[in-house]
Amino acid sequence: MARVLVTDDAAFMRMQLKNILTGLGHEVVGEAENGKVSVELYEELRPDLVTMDITMPEMNGVEAVKEIKKIDDKAKIIMCSAMGQQGMVVEAIQSGAKDFIVKPFTPERIAEAVGKLF
Amino acid sequence: MDTMEYIDMFLDESREHLQAVNDHLLVLEKNPSEVSLVNEIFRSAHTLKGMAATMQFEDIASLTHQMENVLDLIRNEKLSVTTEVIDITFEAVESLEKMVEDISRDGTGKKDVSHLVSRLEQIEKGSSPETNNPAQKQPPSSASFDISLDEYQGTVVNQAKEQGYQAIQLNISLKEDCVLKAARVFMVFEVLEEAGEVIKAVPSVEELEQEEFDRNFSVILLTEEKKEVVLEKILKVSEVEEVTTASFTPAKEESENSEKTSNESESENESAEQSQQRSSKTIRVNLERIDGLMNLFEEMVIDRGRLEDLSQKIGNKDLSETVEHLARISQDMQGMMLTMRMVPVEQVFNRFPRMVRGLAKDLNKEIELEIIGAETELDRTVVDEIGDPLVHLIRNSIDHGIETPEKRKEQGKTEAGTLTLRAYHSGNSVFIEIEDDGAGINREKVMDKAIANGLLTRDRAEQLTKDKIENLIFSSGFSTAETVSDISGRGVGLDVVRSKIESLGGQIAVESEPGRGSKFSIQLPLTLSILSVLLVKVADEIYGVPLSSIEETVLLNKEHIKYIQKNPVMDFRGKVIPVVSLAEILNTPGNEAADSSVKPVVVVKKGEKMAGLVVDSFIGQKEVVLKSLGSYLQDIFAISGATILGDGGVSLIIDPNALIK
Repeated sequence: MARVLVTDDAAFMRMQLKNILTGLGHEVVGEAENGKVSVELYEELRPDLVTMDITMPEMNGVEAVKEIKKIDDKAKIIMCSAMGQQGMVVEAIQSGAKDFIVKPFTPERIAEAVGKLF
Repeated sequence: MDTMEYIDMFLDESREHLQAVNDHLLVLEKNPSEVSLVNEIFRSAHTLKGMAATMQFEDIASLTHQMENVLDLIRNEKLSVTTEVIDITFEAVESLEKMVEDISRDGTGKKDVSHLVSRLEQIEKGSSPETNNPAQKQPPSSASFDISLDEYQGTVVNQAKEQGYQAIQLNISLKEDCVLKAARVFMVFEVLEEAGEVIKAVPSVEELEQEEFDRNFSVILLTEEKKEVVLEKILKVSEVEEVTTASFTPAKEESENSEKTSNESESENESAEQSQQRSSKTIRVNLERIDGLMNLFEEMVIDRGRLEDLSQKIGNKDLSETVEHLARISQDMQGMMLTMRMVPVEQVFNRFPRMVRGLAKDLNKEIELEIIGAETELDRTVVDEIGDPLVHLIRNSIDHGIETPEKRKEQGKTEAGTLTLRAYHSGNSVFIEIEDDGAGINREKVMDKAIANGLLTRDRAEQLTKDKIENLIFSSGFSTAETVSDISGRGVGLDVVRSKIESLGGQIAVESEPGRGSKFSIQLPLTLSILSVLLVKVADEIYGVPLSSIEETVLLNKEHIKYIQKNPVMDFRGKVIPVVSLAEILNTPGNEAADSSVKPVVVVKKGEKMAGLVVDSFIGQKEVVLKSLGSYLQDIFAISGATILGDGGVSLIIDPNALIK
């Protein structure tokens, strides 16, 4: 079981992710609606895993990955991307994200991604 | 995510892929057993599908998807290449082209493709009803690639082995539903590069980055680590379905073998190879940027002229040397910039093989198309514009020129007619010729028609030379085909072709031999915007006459001007040509030059026809930048544009074509 911080600007997506993750037996310890909040919450909560949307207001996912990595070099982050964001995904991976999943998600895919990290 | 910013790239690439499909289909039709061609077509269709889906052009995506299914069966040898398959694929490509063109005109790219999709489905099902999802049938491990190394890579492998590294070939397949494959590949490569060095990837790293692969790829890795360790690490990456390994030994025989196979496929597959090579050595630049650069350069050419003027006035040796050097360099720059705008005429010619094939089928004729000089380069703007006129001429040749096989047999010709499309450079022009060995132009018919249409009177007609009669077909309101077919026009054709070509600064002429065939020759300028002119003075004004249309300059003694029906003419090398006074025609303001007995005359030509333009004095030759007169001053008689001279003055450029009737 992992303690997860979910980051997405759409409440709908956060809810979906939360449901899937909880269903897989993980605990969602926090929700962030943009990269900036995510960084702040990371510092405060120190979760085992962060899911990170890419396109968000205030601070995008790639920036947030870089910030979180500054705080904790060992942070485990999974990017949540839409089709066609190849470049952003690659940049996020280069910045230290561990994996990515592509919307629309399936529980199996999320289980795989989380499973490979723990 | 706004997809519109990618639309240009999408259009460019879609066109390239459609063209590739076209080319390969034509070859495939002749060699139906050539699986490598099917692979190429499959790859293009697949890429198109991916791009269209991303751009949300669903009709393109669904059609390409169904094409892909059929092609997949073919390449797995579950279905053979039949005429039906080829025909329907051609049809599908045609629809795709239409959709792509629609998108390029800001359309929605929507089209009803359901009948094509269902026909493709029938083909797919008809051959193997149990195959509902062909992708599943193909075991991923079957798609490992044979990897061949070039000499350099071979040496690297051998050296690495001496130092205790091992070369491992890894065949990696991604899960079928994997999206963003390139990012996934990137992650795999990150792992690989941590473990050692990737010296070769098939498909190439560029292709992998562009997602130009199905879901399997192979790499050769030099590493100190154990195979199993590497395997495990790769499997840690999500969405990797399977990894197989083999240790890799670049034996000599092997490399020779692989060389052979690659050579074979090279010759069979030459066009694909070439286009691949080209893509790796070129960058895509928006035409607007080149145009922008050209515009700036044109401004510079104007300033160069000014500097030349100034340095002449000042007479400082250092200054004039510098200015001369600058002139030379900018000349070279100009040449380079022009070549940057040049594209091979191939881009236009490429679409003709399929068109000719289609037309020949529709008309029950047999036609061999021969294309010569497709690599000839032309200015991009000209290439963009020349397509339609050429289509028209080719349709004409096929419809009116080349006879039916029966008729050809009767006349002792080969049953298949030959249509030759030829392009070549000559001087500052590019020539494009369309030659057929068909019936040729029936002069009697042309003459009768011209008289019937009131273009000509009976007694005038008697005096015309054969060339002149033939060129009558470029007059408006002309078609010698007795019936109007939907293939060549309704009698509005050739004059439109002619005016289009003339608007590009070119000329068109026809030669024909009854029973032997005809040849249309189009002469086009290499470039449109910078031209060499002869500057002449008329009263107080300076005009430019394009050098390309000047035959000669002469000093004409006033007594040598004769009159025919009160029209002044002169004798030029045994030919009688009309004499035109520029001052009168252009209503030049200012004082007439002194009525001297010797007049400078510029002899200009348009095809075979010539005329003498009387001016007041010659100034000299100059490279100028042709600027349009803008929308306020459109369609001014005999003026094609203006230019700014070195001293800042404006000079009008004469359009001699308008002066010769």
